[in-house]
Amino acid sequence: MKQDHGKNVFIAAIALIAALCSGAALSAGAPTPSFSLAWSEYPSWSTFGVAHEIQLINGKKGALGPIEEKWGVDIELKEAEYDPCLVMYGSGKCDAACITNMDALNPSLTRPSVAILPNSTSFGADALIVTKDITDIKQLRGKKVYGLAKTVSEYCFVRNLELLGENEKDYVFTNMDPAAAALAMQQKQRGFDAIIVWNPFVLETLNRRKDVHVLFDSTSIPGEIIDMVVVAQASLDQPGGKAFALAVIDTYYAINRRLADPKTADETLIALGEKFSHLDLPSMRKVVRQTRFYSTPEEGLKILTSPSTQEIMKKVSAFCVSHEIVPKAPTIGFGDKAAAPNAAFRLDPTYIEEYLKQEKSK
Amino acid sequence: MPSVSSLSSDPSAAPASAPELDIVLECRDIHHGFGNKSVLYDINLRIVRGEIVGLVGPSGCGKSTLLRAIVGTHPPREGAVLVRAAGQTSPYAVEGPGPDRGIVYQRYALFPFLTALENVALGPLLHQTSIPFRLLRFPSWRRLRKRHLEEAAALLAKLKLGDAMHQYPHQMSGGMCQRVAIAQALIMKPEILLLDEPFGALDEATREELQRTLLTLYQENCAAKAAGLPPPAGTIIIVTHELSEALYVGDRVVGLSPYWDWKAEGFASCPGAAIVYDKVAPVYRPDQEKDYDSFVRQREEIRRVVFDSTYFPPRTENLTFWHDVRNGRGEGVLK
Amino acid sequence: MIRKPIPARWSLALGVLSVLVLLAVYTGLSLWQHHRNPEDTTIPTWSQLAVGVKQILEPSARDGQRWLVADGKATLIRLFLGLLCGIAGGIVLGLLMGCYPIIEALLVPPLSLLAKEPPTAMLAVFFVLVGTDTEMYVAMIAFGILPTLSQTVYLGVRDVPAELLDKASTLGASQIEIIWSIIARAIFPKIIDVVRLSIGPAMVYLIAAEMVCGDVGFGYRIRLQSRLLNMNVVYPYLAVLAAFGFTLDSALRLLQRYCCPWYVSGEK
Repeated sequence: MKQDHGKNVFIAAIALIAALCSGAALSAGAPTPSFSLAWSEYPSWSTFGVAHEIQLINGKKGALGPIEEKWGVDIELKEAEYDPCLVMYGSGKCDAACITNMDALNPSLTRPSVAILPNSTSFGADALIVTKDITDIKQLRGKKVYGLAKTVSEYCFVRNLELLGENEKDYVFTNMDPAAAALAMQQKQRGFDAIIVWNPFVLETLNRRKDVHVLFDSTSIPGEIIDMVVVAQASLDQPGGKAFALAVIDTYYAINRRLADPKTADETLIALGEKFSHLDLPSMRKVVRQTRFYSTPEEGLKILTSPSTQEIMKKVSAFCVSHEIVPKAPTIGFGDKAAAPNAAFRLDPTYIEEYLKQEKSK
Repeated sequence: MPSVSSLSSDPSAAPASAPELDIVLECRDIHHGFGNKSVLYDINLRIVRGEIVGLVGPSGCGKSTLLRAIVGTHPPREGAVLVRAAGQTSPYAVEGPGPDRGIVYQRYALFPFLTALENVALGPLLHQTSIPFRLLRFPSWRRLRKRHLEEAAALLAKLKLGDAMHQYPHQMSGGMCQRVAIAQALIMKPEILLLDEPFGALDEATREELQRTLLTLYQENCAAKAAGLPPPAGTIIIVTHELSEALYVGDRVVGLSPYWDWKAEGFASCPGAAIVYDKVAPVYRPDQEKDYDSFVRQREEIRRVVFDSTYFPPRTENLTFWHDVRNGRGEGVLK
Repeated sequence: MIRKPIPARWSLALGVLSVLVLLAVYTGLSLWQHHRNPEDTTIPTWSQLAVGVKQILEPSARDGQRWLVADGKATLIRLFLGLLCGIAGGIVLGLLMGCYPIIEALLVPPLSLLAKEPPTAMLAVFFVLVGTDTEMYVAMIAFGILPTLSQTVYLGVRDVPAELLDKASTLGASQIEIIWSIIARAIFPKIIDVVRLSIGPAMVYLIAAEMVCGDVGFGYRIRLQSRLLNMNVVYPYLAVLAAFGFTLDSALRLLQRYCCPWYVSGEK
């Protein structure tokens, strides 16, 4: 008797679950295609968070803001720390992600990817900070330099050594989370005489400890560390994929126009600051200087099409191979899919071009 | 404070009459209490070497408190506990617990992490050796340990536990545990052994068997006394709420009760339980049939004097033990 | 039905079955992921995992170190030093608190507060106090497990019946002997139990700290390789961690059974 009752409950539960699932399947058949963009807090990437906040787009799945309405596509924003963004993108849990040109290479080996939009380049946002008695790079030989291994920090360090004619083997790059390394230096801990970190930790450390200074930073390698939006080729090939790319580009430049307009510049910058370590307006002004935005479509196009970018990508790729960031060098292509059909990682200007064309035809 | 020196039952009133009785333990003017609560009032008690004394009283009257005062874990507020070692002429006041006074509790009788044998051998270990000795003089310690274990094994065999020596307490029945606990106390050859409701948690058959074990020990005491030797099983005070048990096992019954006529002594409220009953009891041999009828009268008497909460007798009316002994009414070691 | 015993053979078979189901689900997941993206490395196939295992065990091309050896050594030293300090401190404090009301009154309030403090949240504090070398990991683990451990020991000491202690003193035990020969022995199996329970949190604290500060060790390798999407390295590392924890736990359980036969078979 009792067992029969249990069986009935079980069957009812199954039926209920089945009903719910089919209901969910039905509602998923909504007409607007939806794509997800993973982003982490960074001056030029927090623009997407701000766009959601001021309701240019609606980052929730299934809800559309004006820009999404315009392009007929649903952008789902997924905010996460930078590392999880990489993992999320690499494992196919999102269609697009905000990552650097260097970190895009590894996932593109398993998931062919397209850089559709360069956001900014590090121009001082990555810096080697040393104590005041260190004035020459040679003083750091054999000393530990703390930074996050196999990231742009190490790249910036190694490239600057190269420029200074130093041998990388003479230096000890030691892995540590940038937040922890910055904290250790701010606390004047023994052994923490040199750290290489990115913003906001550069600004923070320089603000809180007056007897340290920047020995070198990414201003010596302009345009080599590029923050960009990367979309999976497979997602672009889906219906609505192109509209998604255009909507993302539109959103980014819409925020940049607000930053350029004196009437809205400050409030937008403050909004960005709230989405970037809660920095205040003066700090954000500095941050935006050190993270040079590619704020117009023209600038973006220039980066995606210039021969120097091709050189830079070769350099970055070689660095990634020699530092075991990638198991093998990915083939890097430039132009649209027809121009480089087999490229694992492709820098494609055609989406910005298309956006410009559509904007002008209005 | 009312004087007790004039009591007719006090042995000091008749110094010449009992010189042959060897006093092992004396509670002198003991008052005890916790916070504002008075528990024991003016306890004076002298125990003869080799006796088994049944200590009875209503539950919560302070029997265990008295026992703990004697053991030394909870020293009395006022008064003293005096012990006289065998062959010594003058007694000494006790300060804290010591191996001269052993105790067996109703529960938690044994150390759960030791086998029966190790439990019994624990006393000599703790008493005769120290941690540095056991660590630094390991060979001597091993030899000594062997002797302790042999001694413990012999004692367990005597208490019919030869087969269970290597069992842990949780593997043994309650009756076996209490036997081990008794052996654990006896191996220290205490001057006095205190049993705190030792058989309260046991079934009837086991209880009777253990009661007979006590009677066997008592017979050994009697035989030793007859031969002019110290009693091998020492002196035993057994706290019990079973009147029959007290009368059956003991050669003397002491009753502790808060229901005495304290108004007559000038108190507005009860100043604590006092000894209101102290008389000799019949002595049984272990092989003797237990004859309840023979102690029915005494049992009824105790029930009225000690346990009846509506009857407040004068404190000294039923303290006739020393009088009885003087008049040759004591049996066993009291003869 | 409730608590109805099942044959021993069944429970063994069911245990094996559940592990097999787990492996099968993983295989299915991996096949499905590779069906969607043949190049995927985030849910590696068994052959990809084999490559990862080889990479862990063979000397690396860059510095000739075997990853598993280098990381294992660093992590183990940190873990054992931390456990040692935490356990020793916890036992001593717990015993003292259980035995002496003065120390009890002094230490119980701060320890109950600290027991609720996740040490991973206090990384910066450890930074300030002990720097970033091995001491930091040791302090973090020790500090993380000590409050709970000492509280458990303390409660265990208080649970030792007063009668046993009184009886020990009637048998002639000194204060030290009561603590060492009676209380410590009575709570020894409980100490093993709480040490077993502490290993999990200790590993959590250590791995979390290594993820942030380490330049060698399990936490460092797992974070780095996760970022590089080399899950065929990460999963074997996780498996080694699980196997290590399981082995340590089993060893302690065996030790308890061997040292305290009176405890495992049931208390009275």
